[in-house]
Amino acid sequence: MPAKLTRNFCIIAHVDHGKTTLSDRILEHTNTVAMRVMTDQHLDSMDLEKERGITIKSHPVTMTYPAKDGKIYKLNLMDTPGHVDFSYEVSRSLAACEGAVLLIDAAQGVEAQTVANAHLAFAQKLKVIPVINKIDLPSANLELCLKQLEDILTIPAEEAILASGKAGIGIEDILEAVVLRVPPPRWTEYPQARALVFDSLYDSYRGVIAYVRMFSGTIKAGDMMMLMSTGQRSEVKEVGVFMPKMTKIASLGAGDVGYIVSNVKDTSEIKTGDTITLAHKPATEMLPGYKEVRPMVFCGLYPVDTSDYEKLKAALGRLRLNDAAFVYSSESSVALGFGFRCGFLGLLHMEIIQERIRREHDVDIISTYPSVVYHVIKHGGVQIEVDNPVNLPDPGEIVEIREPTIKAAIHIPNDAMGDIMALVMEKRGTVDHTDTLDAARVMLTCILPLNEILVDFNDRLKSITHGYGSMDYELGEYRTSDLVKMEILVNNDPVDAFASIVHRDKAEGKGRALCEKLAEIIPPQMFKVAIQAAIGGKIIARDNVKEMRKDVTAKCYGGDISRKRKLLDKQKEGKKKMKQFGRVSIPSDAFIKVLKTN
Amino acid sequence: MSGLPTEQAKAATRAPLGLYVHVPFCASTCDFCAFYQTQPTAVGVGRFLDGIAQEAALVDWSEPVTTVFWGGGTPGLLAPRDLARLAATVRARCGGAPQEWTVELAPASVTEARLAALKEAGVTRASMGVQSFQPALLEALGRAHSREQIYRAYDRVRAAEFASVNLDLMFALPGQTEAEWAADVREAVALAPDHLSTYCLTFEEDTALWVKLSQGRVKLDPEHEARLYESTWAQLATAGYAQYEVSNFAHPGHACLHNLNTWRMHEWVGLGPSAASQHAGWRGANVADLDQWLARIGRGERVTEDRVALTSALRAEDALIFGLRMNAGVDLSAWRPRCPEAPWTAVEALLDRLAGDGLAQRDGGWVRLTDRGRLLADSVGSEVMAAFSTEAFVA
Ligand SMILES: Nc1nc2c(ncn2[C@@H]2O[C@H](COP(=O)(O)OP(=O)(O)OP(=O)(O)O)[C@@H](O)[C@H]2O)c(=O)[nH]1
Ligand code: SF4
Ligand SMILES: [Mg+2]
Repeated sequence: MPAKLTRNFCIIAHVDHGKTTLSDRILEHTNTVAMRVMTDQHLDSMDLEKERGITIKSHPVTMTYPAKDGKIYKLNLMDTPGHVDFSYEVSRSLAACEGAVLLIDAAQGVEAQTVANAHLAFAQKLKVIPVINKIDLPSANLELCLKQLEDILTIPAEEAILASGKAGIGIEDILEAVVLRVPPPRWTEYPQARALVFDSLYDSYRGVIAYVRMFSGTIKAGDMMMLMSTGQRSEVKEVGVFMPKMTKIASLGAGDVGYIVSNVKDTSEIKTGDTITLAHKPATEMLPGYKEVRPMVFCGLYPVDTSDYEKLKAALGRLRLNDAAFVYSSESSVALGFGFRCGFLGLLHMEIIQERIRREHDVDIISTYPSVVYHVIKHGGVQIEVDNPVNLPDPGEIVEIREPTIKAAIHIPNDAMGDIMALVMEKRGTVDHTDTLDAARVMLTCILPLNEILVDFNDRLKSITHGYGSMDYELGEYRTSDLVKMEILVNNDPVDAFASIVHRDKAEGKGRALCEKLAEIIPPQMFKVAIQAAIGGKIIARDNVKEMRKDVTAKCYGGDISRKRKLLDKQKEGKKKMKQFGRVSIPSDAFIKVLKTN
Repeated sequence: MSGLPTEQAKAATRAPLGLYVHVPFCASTCDFCAFYQTQPTAVGVGRFLDGIAQEAALVDWSEPVTTVFWGGGTPGLLAPRDLARLAATVRARCGGAPQEWTVELAPASVTEARLAALKEAGVTRASMGVQSFQPALLEALGRAHSREQIYRAYDRVRAAEFASVNLDLMFALPGQTEAEWAADVREAVALAPDHLSTYCLTFEEDTALWVKLSQGRVKLDPEHEARLYESTWAQLATAGYAQYEVSNFAHPGHACLHNLNTWRMHEWVGLGPSAASQHAGWRGANVADLDQWLARIGRGERVTEDRVALTSALRAEDALIFGLRMNAGVDLSAWRPRCPEAPWTAVEALLDRLAGDGLAQRDGGWVRLTDRGRLLADSVGSEVMAAFSTEAFVA
């Protein structure tokens, strides 16, 4: 099929606006997935995605579509995640496409990631096809959506297609628009083969599998390929496309989206954003890659069982390959032994990675309290970066500490204005300016310290606005702030893994909340255990872990001895799963739980 | 011991050996019950009695039996003739009268004829499953007896003049208040039994109650249970019943010897489906199914389930785990020489820690749990297990 009959597009939107559901209908309409094997949210293939009902990874799929013009087109679709933590996934998918279907939930209207993702698409010069989705909902407000499209996104309302992924409305209109409005693949005339690596995966049998968008030339099994960033050569073992399952084909040609299996076995050898070319006739210019993303949140991850260290290391390597936004390096902790400092784009990202380590790699891990990256100016003008509270120098050595801020775009209904302003204040933020989005909504542009929005900002925003508020953010500047290290003592011993850097004015409140939450999460103990928060040795908050009151089996006859032993054995093994801090056993997921506000 | 008949005096000086017989028949199934039991039929009972005789013949009886316990199921459900037959099989292994012979009874099936048969056989101790005096709670437990039946049965049992009479009660029943439970205890005390067992309701897997729990229709409340435990202990102490184990109380001289010997890790032979044995170097149980048990006995096989060798370390470990449930505690100085290879350093460290936390008391070679410690006996038990599985020892 010639490249001019190929269309590459992705589906982008704010979280939950129905991207994956609409993709289901498109898969059905094009008979890509047979009805009998079709499942809801089909492209959300990871267990975690299915369970949580959110997309975490972009998922590519190749389809054929007989258009109304009588020609048969090859369509490469990518379903993308909507959550702000995974916006990096969206940018990578956009780089592999010429068009984007932008969904707007008819009942929610334009939200923060609608704007953010639309801007990403404009910046990559993609053709954007606006779709008002979920029009089956009784609360759908088409008029408002169309107006927002023009006012906020400057897209003419006439371009909008009305659809419902759930009810199967507008599917054909969308496919026709893709064929007519999205331009055919670009840069196909480049004289040498070039393929952009937009993702990769580690397979225990086949090694590293690169997900690629071919821009020019062809690549087939047996070719000697070359990674342009390193010059490393490797023989191509297999090429194929996503149907959506990986399906082997003879060769990948210009405009195609597919995968390449090669001799590359080591996860560190391939980098997302790299360009693959052919070794015997290499290209001279790389395709535009992606700007490096900088993780914003760090925490230590440690194996609960110290003998799992190597297993954890391998797991991190594989996850990193599949997720370029995730970084790690080794570190150690007094309380936890040897582990890794890991960087994430946000808390959801952090939670998902931890969950994947536990499930997909079967390593039990414990995480430390998350931290952002601080800039610490020491006497003599030396500046160091601190992403782990343990490494904060003595107060005597510090001239000042600077903390990262974010520039946030917060979309809210007008009537929530007062409460949201108060929330921003509470979080040590300032409102830079206010823009009217339409008659009922405003957008606040705020500067907020990153460490304040990590934990519960988004939840609070949602609850104040009854679900109608949303936020997008990018990293802003560093600013000087009165920050101190808060230690947590369990049974009078400081536990380094629980230390955090907080604003002095907030220390007491945070200390109290943390002690309270820890006291609640740590299962009742056989003896009195105090949880304390301290700054520079001074206790600022305390709470007690519940004392166990009753743990005894009533009846023990002769016949119950073996049974009873099994029960006690289970209890003993359960304890082993927890981490021992002195005499106190703490469940390994304690910190993820601490961060979750009810 | 001067008051005991001579045969019993002899038995008292021998190494204790228990004989447990599991009689797997009940009229109906209680909601909380996890014991193996089935509906009695004439044919089933006959085969059971044959099986017991056959199984008894397979045991190496080098020592005479000192205590007997018939549990179930409801042994008291057998016809007088069958009780006599079972008794004959048992007596043959005792080398005279045992020190103690307990039979479990259900209030609904206590008759004068049955009691006469038991008395005639030499039974010394009657244990009756009352559970509660409150009609509504009895119903909630799926118990097939009434308040009136309890009183009638108790009068009959007393009239039969057994040396010792026990009543079983249950607490922390769904919906039961502290006051209701205190009333049950008062009512039981008013009957003046020699022994009382008060069991906190346990949710055993595969019971009707467990199903309710997993459906969220009843809830566990350890705080409430702890309060009930404490008030029971206080109430019974005032009434003159000394606690000797987590759930057991007795007037002086009426503690259940058979159970004490079990918890002290002596030996016992278990006959019947699901019965456990700890004897002749092995611990284990029979299969919990009448037909399968009969089939295996027919092939000369017993103690086929969870069979483990009875090492001295296992005994020492369990003597601690189960001994600490008793108020008297455990005599470590007796166990150390019997099992010098056990990880005593780790055990000592654990016991010192428990003592430091006010959960245990050390007194010469003895260690016992405090009231608070006894309420945590399972946690303590799992720590004892952990101490015994310290790497140096296992390797
Ligand atoms: N009424 C209605 N509900 C829909 C429609 N499309 C999706 N939904 C529902 O909206 C929710 C989110 O749908 P998804 O398809 O997972 O949304 P998404 O945009 O892929 O979500 P993320 O990938 O997490 O950003 C689900 O509960 C869907 O059932 C629609 O057309 N109408
Ligand atoms: S009478 Fe005893 S053995 Fe029979 S069902 Fe009730 S509790 Fe179980
Ligand atoms: Mg999705």
